[in-house]
Amino acid sequence: MHEHIQQRIQSIIQNVDQLPSLPDVVSRIINMVNDPNVSFKQVADEIAKDQAITANILKLCNSAYFSKGKEISSIDRAIVILGLKEVKDIVVLATTKSVLNKVIIGYDLARGELWKHGVAVAMLAKKIATECSQKAVADIAFTGGIIHDVGKTVLALFVQNTFKDILTAVTEKNITFQEAEKLIMGFDHQQIGEQVTIKWKFPKVLQSIVRYHHEPINAPNEHKKIVSIVHIANTLCLMAGIGIGSDGLYHELNQDAVTMLGLHDPQLEKFYSDIPELMARAKDIL
Amino acid sequence: MDNLINIGVAQLAVAENPAVLRTILGSCVGICIYERNKKIGGLAHILLPKNPGDSNHEKYADTAIPILVQQLLKKGCKKEFMSAKIAGGASMFKFKSTTALANIGENNIEATRQALAKFGIPIVAEDVGGSTGRVIDFFLDDGRLKVKASGQEKMYYKV
Repeated sequence: MHEHIQQRIQSIIQNVDQLPSLPDVVSRIINMVNDPNVSFKQVADEIAKDQAITANILKLCNSAYFSKGKEISSIDRAIVILGLKEVKDIVVLATTKSVLNKVIIGYDLARGELWKHGVAVAMLAKKIATECSQKAVADIAFTGGIIHDVGKTVLALFVQNTFKDILTAVTEKNITFQEAEKLIMGFDHQQIGEQVTIKWKFPKVLQSIVRYHHEPINAPNEHKKIVSIVHIANTLCLMAGIGIGSDGLYHELNQDAVTMLGLHDPQLEKFYSDIPELMARAKDIL
Repeated sequence: MDNLINIGVAQLAVAENPAVLRTILGSCVGICIYERNKKIGGLAHILLPKNPGDSNHEKYADTAIPILVQQLLKKGCKKEFMSAKIAGGASMFKFKSTTALANIGENNIEATRQALAKFGIPIVAEDVGGSTGRVIDFFLDDGRLKVKASGQEKMYYKV
C-alpha cells in the first residue's frame, strides 16, 4: 500500500473542489424527470435557461441515434417528440462530454477513448435493459453507462505512479485490476466516481451504478438489476476493445449478474456482436 | 503522425507506404497483412470467428480476411510477397469458463489462423492471448508492427 498516495486521494475526496464539476442544471433535470408533479414546460424552461447547452442539445436531438425523423428545433418539441427521459439522457450527454473527453494517463487512454467507452456502454446498457424487461429504467442504464468510469479521470495520475505495483498485485494475488487499485492506493475508481456523483447531487441509483459497476452483487438490493445491466454492457464493450486501456481485460464478468437478468450465452453473444452497429449509429454523438 | 489511419471494430483498411494503420483490441483480433515488394498493407479488426450469414462481412475472421486479401490483390499485390502479423484475442481475466463468450478471444485467434492458411499467407509474428488490451500500429514503410499492452511497447519487424 502506498500510504502517501492514499492520503492524497483522501484529501481530494474531502476537498470536493478538486473533483470534476457539472452545471447544476443537470441534477435538477434528472430529479425533475422522476417527479410526477413536474410538467414538460417546467423542464423545457429549466433547460432553456442555459443557452450554451441548448444549442448542443438540439444538435444531439437531431443526431442519427436519437432522431425520430422530424427536425427538432426547440426544447419543447424535443420533449414532445423524444419524451422527457430521452431529453434527460441528451442533457447528460451534452454536459458530461467536457469531463470525460480527455486524455486519461495511467489508464493509457488517448483523448476521446473514455468518452467513446461511456457512450458505447450507455447505448448497450439501454439495449440490454430494453430486451431484459427493464425498459422503464433503460434511460437510467444509459445515464449510468455514460458516467460509470468518471472516477478514472481523478485516479489516473495515481494509477500512473503505481501501475507496476497494481499489475503485480493482479498477477500475484489473482485479483482484478479494480481490486488491485484498492489494495495499492487505498481506493478504486468506483469509490472516487461515487464521490463525484455525490458532488453532482445525482440520485442514489446513479451513485450505485458508478460505485458497483465491477461488483454488481454488492450493490443495494433495489439497484442490483440496473447495476448488473451496466456491468454486463461494460464488460462486453471492453472485450470489443471500446475504451480498453492499460487495465485491459483484468476484470470479471460476474455470473450472478448474468443469471439475475435471465440472460444466456446466445443473448450475451448477440449483444457483443451488435456493438459495431451501435457504434456506427453513435458516430455523430461522439 | 499525419499518416495515421484509425480502424474501428469490425472495419478494415488497405493503404500504402508511408501510412500507419492503428487499432485497439480486446478479445478482437487485428490481422495485419504486408506486401513487402509494393509496401502496401492492410489491417482487419475482427470481432468474432465465424460469420453465421451476417451481411457485415468485416466483423468475422472467416469473411473479413478474404475481403482484405482481395483488396490487396486489386492494388496489384502478389500473394507470394505477403506475410501476416496478428495481435489481440485477449480473454476476460475472471469469467466462468463454460460461457461461450469466455473463449471468444481463443476462437478468434484460431479462426484467423485458419483463414490465413487457406490463402497460404504465412503468419510471421503473433502477439495474442492473455488479458491485456492492445493498441497496435502497423507501419507500412517497412511492415513493422508496434504493440502497446499494459503500459509496455513491443516491436515486431519480421515481414
